[in-house]
Amino acid sequence: MSETVIEVKNLIKNYGDFRAVDGISFEVRKGEVFSILGPNGAGKTTTVEIMECLRKPSSGEVKVLGFDIAHQQNDIRKRVGILPQDFNTYDLLTVKENIDYFGVMFDRSIPTQELLDAVNLNDKKDEYFKNLSGGLKQRVGVAIAMVNDPDIIFLDEPTTGLDPKARREVWEVVKDLKRKGKTVILTTHYMEEAEVLSDRLAIMNGGRFIAYDTPRAIIKEHGYGTLCIIRSANDKAMQLLTATGLSVKRKDGDVEVHMDDKSSLHKVVEVLQDPDAYYDEITVKRSSLEDVFLKLTGKRIEDDTGAKA
Amino acid sequence: MKSRIGTDLMATAKMFVRNKGAMFWTLAFPIFLIVIFGAIFSSTGTGSYTLNVQNLDHGPLSQSFMDSLNQTGVVKIVMVDPSADPDTYIKDNSVTNFMIIPGNFTQNIALNSTATIELRQDRTQSAANIMASVVGQVVNHYNLNLSGGKEHIAIHSGSIVTNNLTFLDFFLPGVIGLTAMTNCVFYMQGVQSRYFATGIFRKLSTTPFTRFEWLISRALWQTVVVFMSVAAILIVGMLFFNVHITLTWMSIVLIIVGGLMFTGLGMILSRFAKDEETANAAASAVTFPMMFLGGSFFDLSASPEWLQMVASIMPLTYMNNGLRDTMIYGNDAAALFNLGILAVVAVVFVVIGVYVSKWTDD
Ligand SMILES: Nc1ncnc2c1ncn2[C@@H]1O[C@H](COP(=O)(O)OP(=O)(O)O)[C@@H](O)[C@H]1O
Ligand SMILES: [Mg+2]
Repeated sequence: MSETVIEVKNLIKNYGDFRAVDGISFEVRKGEVFSILGPNGAGKTTTVEIMECLRKPSSGEVKVLGFDIAHQQNDIRKRVGILPQDFNTYDLLTVKENIDYFGVMFDRSIPTQELLDAVNLNDKKDEYFKNLSGGLKQRVGVAIAMVNDPDIIFLDEPTTGLDPKARREVWEVVKDLKRKGKTVILTTHYMEEAEVLSDRLAIMNGGRFIAYDTPRAIIKEHGYGTLCIIRSANDKAMQLLTATGLSVKRKDGDVEVHMDDKSSLHKVVEVLQDPDAYYDEITVKRSSLEDVFLKLTGKRIEDDTGAKA
Repeated sequence: MKSRIGTDLMATAKMFVRNKGAMFWTLAFPIFLIVIFGAIFSSTGTGSYTLNVQNLDHGPLSQSFMDSLNQTGVVKIVMVDPSADPDTYIKDNSVTNFMIIPGNFTQNIALNSTATIELRQDRTQSAANIMASVVGQVVNHYNLNLSGGKEHIAIHSGSIVTNNLTFLDFFLPGVIGLTAMTNCVFYMQGVQSRYFATGIFRKLSTTPFTRFEWLISRALWQTVVVFMSVAAILIVGMLFFNVHITLTWMSIVLIIVGGLMFTGLGMILSRFAKDEETANAAASAVTFPMMFLGGSFFDLSASPEWLQMVASIMPLTYMNNGLRDTMIYGNDAAALFNLGILAVVAVVFVVIGVYVSKWTDD
């Protein structure tokens, strides 16, 4: 197992009487993309900003790169890169000027040109920040987060509010960071994003981690496995499927068959060859983080617009 | 290696130049004031300030003294019968400026002793200062000409003015004080509220750049902005209203210290109000009374005592008074007193401002 770069033990954060983070413990390993997935108000920002030394914990122990957040903030600050939630920088400076500016603020910095290339912003380098689209702004934010050549990069909701195309472009940047050997801590409320990008992740709700592992392991543990869905199946089809001995469930007009092993699908297809069995289509669906979240909390994660994320 | 403060300062300057609105208001507001008041003052017209003179002297020197007054082009002399009673005359004719040249004027000067002229003025009139200055200036001129500066002519009750002044010159220090106040308070309040709301402070707090360094950079920048306004005021004043540059070293120090003080005030205001609008309203609430009672527009020495009390707790009053002391009356000792008060208040405001300012939530 590779080296641990962040260690959090029993972290608690209260705002007055309200407990925003309720005793979480986890660790982040070198070179991985670690995500905290959860709905608005789950406590994601509070958690990462404590690791970034921007907020003080009420209790608990947090070590970043071996440094204690209570006493060694300067050591930490020099070695981490941060894209804050709702990132913003100087509107009336160009992309290049903004990166240059933050380069000076740190003692060591990588050349601006290298950063522009890294986030693919070279042709926008002379545009004012205010004239960029949301996705480009986030990429500027990532470039600035990389300016001090940090070992760890925090990205707090880097894709919130972006359209799907811009979101995917940010994903590519995250994958690049991983390829460069950076450790990335990402927060998001997009299930798919967490599933695609993370090596390991925590699902956070109400200040607690309700699941914490690799996406695959979480889905395996809390999901329903794989389902075969036969849409608009007639009673004959239902009858034949039940006879296979597989676990079968009628759901509205459909039939859901639980895939116990690789041979299950073969059995389904075989019995449905009967000329009296009618149905519209057969689909196979693996359970997702979405289903896990639904199962664990009884709710769906909603995105900003209120639509299902 | 580039310094953080220098880099921030340069970035701020770039953004200022690119922000046409900010640049416009920084320069337009003081110019607007100077144009409005310049127009008001000069519409009274050159030469239309009436000075009633009762000449009790029969010698040649009083005559030439009056000729000199005439030649300034500012004074219109109305002769008063030597036998008239000054008090009655002033009352009957609603006179605002009344000068008495004593009977021994020529004789005293000839004997190389001092001749005292009496200048009675209605001090509630804005023209009073101007008249006093003109008379004082002519007197000064005379004293210089007559045997190297020995005081031959003294003005009874009136300020001795050293500079060659126009009407607007009196108004100028007040405009500078007012501009320094509005610039610094609103800029600092605005930028702090905005950077907090938009998250720029949050981003900055992730870097080794400190709040203190940032405040130094912005205070330096404010000084630059205030001097830009002062330059705008002076240039417009000189081109259109015949204002004379009266920037002394003392006035420059006063502008810097006063600017710092108002910057500190802006820092405090932006912190105690929760959001940008409230902070802006608070800044208005604090600056508005000072605009009128800080002595920029009106001389408050003739106003009720309670109003003067209010004025005496307003920092702008000391800035304006200090600037007038040095720029108009050439009285750097009095200016130094005002500077001292400003400096103390500036330190207090800036320390509180630095102490209370925050970049992050918690
Ligand atoms: N500075 C603060 N003061 C009081 N409550 C806060 C503060 N910051 C966050 N909270 C509350 O703490 C909870 C967690 O917030 P946050 O960490 O921002 O969640 P997330 O990033 O997952 O949306 C929310 O209910 C939020 O309202
Ligand atoms: Mg958040």
